[in-house]
Amino acid sequence: MRLSSRDRRFSLSLVAPSIFLLLLVGVFPLVYLLVVSFQGITMTELDTSFQGLRNFRMLFDDERLWQSLLHTVIFTAIALPLELVLGLAMAQLFIDKLPGRPVFVALLVLPVVVSPIVAGATWSLMFDQRFGPINEVISWMLGGETTILWTIKPDLVYPAILLAEIWQWTPFMFLLLLAALSAVDKSQLEAAAIDGAGWWRTFFRIVLPAIWPVMAIAILIRALDLFRLFDIVWALTKGGPGTMTETISIFAYVKGFQQFETSYTAAVALMIIVLLSVVVMAALKRVELTR
Amino acid sequence: MNHPLSVARPCAALARSPLSVAIVALVATFAIATDASAQSAAQRAVDAAKPLCAGGKTITIVWEAGLQSLDPLNFSGPEWEKQTGCKVKVVEVPTAEMFTKIMQEFRAGTGAYDALNVIPAWMPDLAGAGALEPLDALVDKYGYRAELQKIAPTYRDNQMTVNGKIYGFPDDGDVFVMYYRKDIFARDDLKKAFKAKTGHELAVPKTWKQFDETAAFLTEALKKDGIYGAAFFREPPYTMYMFQERFRNEGGKFFDAGMKATVNNDIGVRVFNEMRAENKFMPPGVEKFGFVENLATFLKGQSAMTISWPPYGRFAAGYLANEKALDWVPKSTIAGKVGYAVPPGGHPQLAAGFALSVASTSKQKEAAYLFIQWLNSEDISMKRVQLPYALRDPFRDSHFTSKEYLAKWPDAKDYLAALKAGSQTGLLDLSLIQTDKYEEALRQGISRLWAGEDSKKILDDVAKQWDATTNQIGLDKQKAVYGAWAAKSGAYPK
Amino acid sequence: MRSATRHRIKLALRLAAASAITLFFVFPIYWLFMISFKTADEIYSYPPTWWPGQIQFNSYAVLFKDGDATTVWNSFVVASASTVIAMFLGTLCAYAIARFRTGGDHLANWIISQRMVPPIAVVFPIFLLYVWLKLVDTYIGLILLYTAFNLPYVIWMMRGYILDIPRALEESALVDGCTRWQVLWKVVFPMCRAGLFATAIFTFVFAWNDFIFALVLTRTEVTTYTVQVTHYFGGQSNFWAKISAMSVLGTVPIFIIVGFMQRYLVRGMSLGAIKG
Repeated sequence: MRLSSRDRRFSLSLVAPSIFLLLLVGVFPLVYLLVVSFQGITMTELDTSFQGLRNFRMLFDDERLWQSLLHTVIFTAIALPLELVLGLAMAQLFIDKLPGRPVFVALLVLPVVVSPIVAGATWSLMFDQRFGPINEVISWMLGGETTILWTIKPDLVYPAILLAEIWQWTPFMFLLLLAALSAVDKSQLEAAAIDGAGWWRTFFRIVLPAIWPVMAIAILIRALDLFRLFDIVWALTKGGPGTMTETISIFAYVKGFQQFETSYTAAVALMIIVLLSVVVMAALKRVELTR
Repeated sequence: MNHPLSVARPCAALARSPLSVAIVALVATFAIATDASAQSAAQRAVDAAKPLCAGGKTITIVWEAGLQSLDPLNFSGPEWEKQTGCKVKVVEVPTAEMFTKIMQEFRAGTGAYDALNVIPAWMPDLAGAGALEPLDALVDKYGYRAELQKIAPTYRDNQMTVNGKIYGFPDDGDVFVMYYRKDIFARDDLKKAFKAKTGHELAVPKTWKQFDETAAFLTEALKKDGIYGAAFFREPPYTMYMFQERFRNEGGKFFDAGMKATVNNDIGVRVFNEMRAENKFMPPGVEKFGFVENLATFLKGQSAMTISWPPYGRFAAGYLANEKALDWVPKSTIAGKVGYAVPPGGHPQLAAGFALSVASTSKQKEAAYLFIQWLNSEDISMKRVQLPYALRDPFRDSHFTSKEYLAKWPDAKDYLAALKAGSQTGLLDLSLIQTDKYEEALRQGISRLWAGEDSKKILDDVAKQWDATTNQIGLDKQKAVYGAWAAKSGAYPK
Repeated sequence: MRSATRHRIKLALRLAAASAITLFFVFPIYWLFMISFKTADEIYSYPPTWWPGQIQFNSYAVLFKDGDATTVWNSFVVASASTVIAMFLGTLCAYAIARFRTGGDHLANWIISQRMVPPIAVVFPIFLLYVWLKLVDTYIGLILLYTAFNLPYVIWMMRGYILDIPRALEESALVDGCTRWQVLWKVVFPMCRAGLFATAIFTFVFAWNDFIFALVLTRTEVTTYTVQVTHYFGGQSNFWAKISAMSVLGTVPIFIIVGFMQRYLVRGMSLGAIKG
């Protein structure tokens, strides 16, 4: 399409303010991070002299950093498939006619719109060893007072955080997949039924391809959210016990805003951005959001 | 640059000789006598603040979140506003985040905070960074030196100055006290059973070995009635102090002569192991007990012994129990049954404590200063340490001897005596450059301890982190600072 | 007859399953709300009670008395101001991209990729910048950041809605002698009113629910409710009554808003992938 010069000027004037703002928070920080990451600023030293690659070299020796990256990957690798499968199962349950469906759906939306930090607070109330309902229910089922320390014991703290995470975001998957399922061509399903195709076969041959575009986007959105997981873990464990549940976002916050390792944190932040850009670019190519 | 911790202590040196006491007293009298109006420091602060507050100013003060904040929210804040017209805004921050919040704000320099509550162990760091305003000039301007000298020596000499300059007013006589149930220790059946089982008398324990034996016995004997031998707050921020105390009482040193961390020595490992073993005779879930959960357990009569800060004694005594600000703390069921003692080992930690400071980034330093002078003064602090809901503990000589305080409840004299004894033999918190980093490593270590990891491995990691931090700061620099701290009378038991 | 019975049993089972699932997802919210109405004795009682003995509003009264409740107002100010600005700028930008293909696919892709950067990596340099510009703890600082952070979303969503509008309408308006700006005001905006509304709601919710930006960039003046909630954590204890009352104050407005816009939810959440 060829634009007249007037239209071009008009269109540029529409785009300019947004681009300016995006550059301000998108590109400026990048430049700034790059500058700071070559300096030696800490809590006690405001040393702005050129330090070469020292901070970047430190990245490789920082066990806690790689641990936190690993924790982030673990959270993502477990929560994402669970949310997807559970969301899909729920969508299947609700896809056919069901009395009161609008009410159910309206209630199921609630966790998604709660602020994640509030969700975290809510679950720390739920998990409280004495005054929380979860241990109470377990005590009742086991028939004796049970005190389970959900946010302290290493083998329980991951399940606890994952439960809160899955509670909040499974409904997200559910809503999207329910919408996608409703759009599947009914006549194809009927044709398959007449052919005598089983449920699994129908699902993989007809349903899955039809809902895949939506599913892919849902997965992408959730994967990116999980990668920056902060609030729920912050509210439940602050990364503890020790640094056992520290995610990359929490690690960067602790380094930057609690220990004031300014220059080193800049290097960490740059690493996160580069790492994520590579992944996102690759993912965007496959998902075709741009249709 | 001078390293920030070479704390000059002119007052400490003076206070030792009787002659110097006389001189101080003389100077103090003189200072008061020369003041034309002979007013109290509190009244002077009010008078000076009135013109500054004209037109409705707001002073923002950072305070520890929760119970501590009840004082400025319910008493001192409204009272200051009534007297001067200045509103007081309280920013509540959890203890473990106070240092970083203050430091973040200093870096941001918005002037959002005017006055600060500062844990004395951080004072060198904050003063060194420039976050705190030196107060000497204002102290002289508003004639506060004499009253400042009347703060109990332990706090005055260790929690007020950095490099000889005043950066904060010690405002909280924090020290760990052991509370026990007199009625339980007096029960004949228990005495007899204890004697039969162990061969010695049931008594308030003086060592940790005795403590463990006694508490385990009491739990076994009383659990059926819902009473445990002991309960502590076990959340890492508190346990961190208890570890520091116990480690030193048992003879541990934090660093060796070469400034290498030695928390991972046999003593450290033993203390860690014992602390974890003790959880077995404490209420289930004790690992998550904070100040309030532990308090609730004690007030409801469900633990026979506990160690905590002084407020427990006041809450337990239950005076003014109908106070509305306190209505979310369970009512005391043990008034009159509580005994007070120095914790096992004999040298309790002067854990945390608070000093009042002025933020260097404040846009109204003078008004902020007057507010903290008023809070800290003889007259007002006397009221504040007696508030039934407040967490501020006696820190002036006059508080320990106050007639009004001694009459608050029947055992108040024992209580005040225990506090005073503790303050005299107490141990200072470890204080270095970037203390928060060392404490954080220890806090994380404790959370791993409760998680069940091997004590030696945890403490090796803590020591590794401490050494890494030391090297990052500069070995010689930190060594000098540690040397100055370790030379203080309260650093290690004599 | 038999098949009708079977059908009915199946329906009953599905209904039971749906109820159980919904209970699981709603119960924590019930628990959060209920705690705020309990007295201290009830909160710290063991075993826990499943409903408050009597509804009392003491926890809320304390929040209002101490001024903590104003943090909800702060959240409202920054969320609504940034929403208005982001909607205005973003819709204009979206229109250019949709109709004139300004910048081509590259620009569109770059814009949406901006949304995917983790906040922690952005907030760190922004904090240093804001210190320099003296924007920490100001409304302007937060509004600017939320606006910029939400712009990609607005542009992306509005581009989709604008593409749904038949181009012929605009062309006939142009033929009638409207200027480009008039076309925007009189044709495009009214035509995508529903889209504007839905997108604005999401933008608002994102800003309202944010924690990490506010945690770093606020102190006392513009503290948002999410940051205020965390002030009651830890320290001497978790102050359940305040945590829950503050959370409820911040959550109820969102529930109300979402209640009104059920039908736009799915399109908004899926970045426009599902046309609802």
